[in-house]
Amino acid sequence: MKRLLIALALLLPAAASALQAGDDTLRPLEAAQVGALLQPPAQGERLVALWALDCAYCEANLQALAKLQQAHPQQIELVTVATDDIGQAAAIAQRLHAAGMDGYPARAYADPTPERINYLLDPDWGGETPRVLVIRADGSRQGYSGALNSRILRKLLP
Amino acid sequence: MRRLLTALLCLSPLALPAHDGMPMAMPKGPELGASAAFDAHGRLWLVDAADGHVRLRHSDDLGKTLSAPVEVNAVAEPIYAEGENRPKIAFGPHGELYVSWSQPRAKPWTGFVRFARSLDGGEHFSTPLTVHHDRAEITHRFDALAVDGKGRIVIAWIDKRDMEAAHAGGKPYLGAAVYYSASTDAGASFLPERKLLDQSCECCRIALAPTPQGDVAAFFRSIYGDNIRDHAYAVLHADGQPSQPARATFSQWRIAGCPHHGPGLAIGADGTRHAVWYEAKGQPTIWYGQLDPGHPPRHALAIAHAGAAHADVAVLGKTVWVAWNQVDAQGYALMLRESADGGRRFGDARQIARSEAAAGSPQLLLLRQRAFVAWNTAGGFRLVPVEAAP
Repeated sequence: MKRLLIALALLLPAAASALQAGDDTLRPLEAAQVGALLQPPAQGERLVALWALDCAYCEANLQALAKLQQAHPQQIELVTVATDDIGQAAAIAQRLHAAGMDGYPARAYADPTPERINYLLDPDWGGETPRVLVIRADGSRQGYSGALNSRILRKLLP
Repeated sequence: MRRLLTALLCLSPLALPAHDGMPMAMPKGPELGASAAFDAHGRLWLVDAADGHVRLRHSDDLGKTLSAPVEVNAVAEPIYAEGENRPKIAFGPHGELYVSWSQPRAKPWTGFVRFARSLDGGEHFSTPLTVHHDRAEITHRFDALAVDGKGRIVIAWIDKRDMEAAHAGGKPYLGAAVYYSASTDAGASFLPERKLLDQSCECCRIALAPTPQGDVAAFFRSIYGDNIRDHAYAVLHADGQPSQPARATFSQWRIAGCPHHGPGLAIGADGTRHAVWYEAKGQPTIWYGQLDPGHPPRHALAIAHAGAAHADVAVLGKTVWVAWNQVDAQGYALMLRESADGGRRFGDARQIARSEAAAGSPQLLLLRQRAFVAWNTAGGFRLVPVEAAP
């Protein structure tokens, strides 16, 4: 019992900081919800920014996409999706918070077959990260792998 | 700016994962990283990780039943066992069992390469040791393990000490480095590690294979120019002779990111270096080719496209097999292509098993004149003969 209490005490600060870090906005992404995420937006475009905890390039890429969104707030909707399991919610939320990404809708994989979610999101994607999917109001889609340079960022504009 | 940011994130206490101060890392999805190998007597051995222990099991009926597990590390510790990381197993010339794995440290992207041996047929293991002499809390992970023709153990891994030093001095450094070490005393100790090459990819497994000369060869994703992530080949001499890595693929896939897709290598008795690798310059593609270091591979063939991942290759005489995972909306298929003429032409892709549950990277194994694919799925471990039809 004492051990349990100690364990809980150890967990409390982590849980508290996760909540401060916006853990309440991190939502699971299940296979059945992929279709809705890929629906074309009413106007402009949606950027689905795929990233992973084990990817040293990803957070800077999220920030570059956030900057792009802030420059075109009416036309760009930005959603982040961690390919890590939602079971890692605290670590994911902490990284997003540290990267200054609190204001954006955030999802994390919630499926026992993560490679299948990769495929459902984009069959032409081999799981490399970072990856951004551009879903335009006219129904067209494109995917880009790797940290985006200024040339590709310009291509993402609506 | 990006580098500064990465450095700051690494330093920030917010970036510390939840296992800091707690012994166990939280699992990231299903932990399916496992390795299987046949010993000289035809017994199948399997290592994976569970509850902070590398688990060793064996099978005398081609994987149908597995023995009760033996814990390789008596004291639990975090273990990387998913994606491109998995515990490894190899055998010494006198029945020694060697096991290696990568241990996550507190900070993101850090790890130590660990090793333990059994001299009594897998009943007991030595206290695990850390293979590298460098003990900085940085990346030393994605270990690969092999035994050369003289019984020396070779371990190679991805190491970020040179990146850290460059960044500390304000200098640019793309990717990581590959280091390796050898043990000449059957795993009682390891020689000081040596650098094989700078600017390797950071997060792709290293393939090792024995050469007909009795050395161990390495094939791994490297970085050329501005983030072109092609592969290098090198023979790792355990006796201290310098190794000469050479570029061996020329796909020109540029990505400032993590492919999470390492290659496969098998060298025939005639010295032909059969290789498989992944790139997505155009569409995602698994390639087969015969390495000619310094030049583009010979007999290059696109083996599979969208949904294909984590290929392995094996060779026996003129027969070459390539196996890979093929994902679609329904789940995972284990696919196979076979060549009867030494890799010049391959038959069509065949599905040899299916799984609705998640599956780890397939591994081709040879036993006498037969080939099998070790396939660790969330539904259980399977040893699939290459001639199987699901």
